[in-house]
Amino acid sequence: MIDRPLFAHTWRMQRVKLAVVCLGLIVWGFVTPVVYAQFGAQFRMLLENGLIPEQFVQFGGGDIFSLPGAIALGFIHPISLILNSVFAVGYTTAAIASERQRGTLEVTLSRPISRHILYRTLFAASFTFLAATTTALLAGGVAGATFEGVRGELPLEPLPLLWLNGVLLFGAIASIGLAASLSFDRFAPALGLTLGVVVVSYFLEVLGSLWPDARPVQPYSLFHYLQPKAILTGHVAASDFAVLALVLALAVIYALVVFPRRDLPAPS
Amino acid sequence: MPAVQTLGLTKHYRAGPPLPFRSARAAATAAVDALDLSVNEGEIFGFLGPNGAGKSTTIRMLLGFLHPSAGSGRVLGLDIVRESVAIRRRTGYLPGGIALYDSLTGEALLDYLARLSHRPPVRRADLCERLELSRKTLQRRVRDYSRGMRQKIGIVQALQHDPELAILDEPSEGLDPLMQRAFYDILDQLKAAGRTVFFSSHVLSEVERVCDRVAIIRRGRLVAQEDVPSLLARARRQVTLRVEGAAPSLAEVAGVSHLEDHGDRLTCRLEGDPRPFLAAIQRSVVLDLTIEPARLEDAFVDFYEDVER
Repeated sequence: MIDRPLFAHTWRMQRVKLAVVCLGLIVWGFVTPVVYAQFGAQFRMLLENGLIPEQFVQFGGGDIFSLPGAIALGFIHPISLILNSVFAVGYTTAAIASERQRGTLEVTLSRPISRHILYRTLFAASFTFLAATTTALLAGGVAGATFEGVRGELPLEPLPLLWLNGVLLFGAIASIGLAASLSFDRFAPALGLTLGVVVVSYFLEVLGSLWPDARPVQPYSLFHYLQPKAILTGHVAASDFAVLALVLALAVIYALVVFPRRDLPAPS
Repeated sequence: MPAVQTLGLTKHYRAGPPLPFRSARAAATAAVDALDLSVNEGEIFGFLGPNGAGKSTTIRMLLGFLHPSAGSGRVLGLDIVRESVAIRRRTGYLPGGIALYDSLTGEALLDYLARLSHRPPVRRADLCERLELSRKTLQRRVRDYSRGMRQKIGIVQALQHDPELAILDEPSEGLDPLMQRAFYDILDQLKAAGRTVFFSSHVLSEVERVCDRVAIIRRGRLVAQEDVPSLLARARRQVTLRVEGAAPSLAEVAGVSHLEDHGDRLTCRLEGDPRPFLAAIQRSVVLDLTIEPARLEDAFVDFYEDVER
């Protein structure tokens, strides 16, 4: 199924980076309930007085007037996105293209490892990284809520679904990153293509959330299918999970078809 | 059964942007053209050609990195397209200008690559000893290694699991003369153990020293494939002749070419049987005669000159 030595090596090479990102996400996850607990009422007052436009405070489907809203904001906020992208974009786009460019991929592939197994191993590794980062973000949120004494406002039952929703979103991005990585001989085009998808997707979602006339473009964004607040308030839409799973599956199928068929010339 | 055999192996590269945007109608360039190679088991086989001749492309097809455009190949009896993983299980590969994971120590890198090979590194200790890679050296990070050290690690990683076939691309590049000699000893040892070595090199003296047979490739086409003594026998030797009085007429003598009269001496190149040449100078008063031994380099240059003509 996967190559264990390669999987272990991948983890070993990424462990420090993973620890730093997870720490960052725990801190960020911790901060959002604190902001809600400390400033939520004041922000609500500003909103009710019309000092802040309603769309602005409901940025990306989150808000700071409820704990689920604050947790949701933590998920969709650029800080969380950047930290998660270290693995969903940075690691995945480098995983094959960068090794190709450096020449280390041919040292790995000169061993009895098929390209399918190489891909599956890197895919599995990226999924475990994203599982860890999403867990860190949620753990930070629960810790922050507990610290502020508002843990009772956060239902724990939907957390596994929220975790799955987050992993599927960043997993879909990671799959696109890996597909780009195996399509190019150099790192820069793979990174550029994946970053382009993420930035455009994020822009469409944020634009739709800030400007009601742009709402019809939101379904074209991957981030539209990350619905932390809906999940935490018990309004789970299976279609959100299905769309993300479909994007992920299409990227995986592309990779499994293209990678074994493409040539790997000597690095230039 | 040959260790390596190719029949009409061909690789065309299409010019243009990388996948997935490449047009099927983009212009194609032949990197390897209808190559028929045969490497016997247990021999050291040299694969020669200048940069861009198609050596690395051929090697990459043998290992499954590139897909042939036409023709077929078998390595250790296994098909290079369908059974590539099984081939790599039984081979060791040293890429030209090998890239390594700089953040690992030499020892950790070799351990990792041995685990990836799924075979124990039974030859590592001996190889490290021969190449003077001490335990202390192996505990340093690869990023601190010199070019020669990296090449030594490359050689060890290719051979540490005792593969049946070693495919080595420019193996002595970056090694100092002493380490080159140690490397040749390793090749001799491999040969004695019945292993097959297929290696490409620019260093013709090295090929002459270690190879049983060689293939010469030019612009993707095979121009020669034979054993080294036969190749040397056909090579043109440099001749310098000093005589007293009139110079003998050598222009029409069989095997003589590149004849030049420098006044005090004649120079020419001599191919094959020297007896017609010796007969032609028999009546002259020879003051000095030098016939340099044939070198693979001369044979190599001759092949290229002939093909160019």
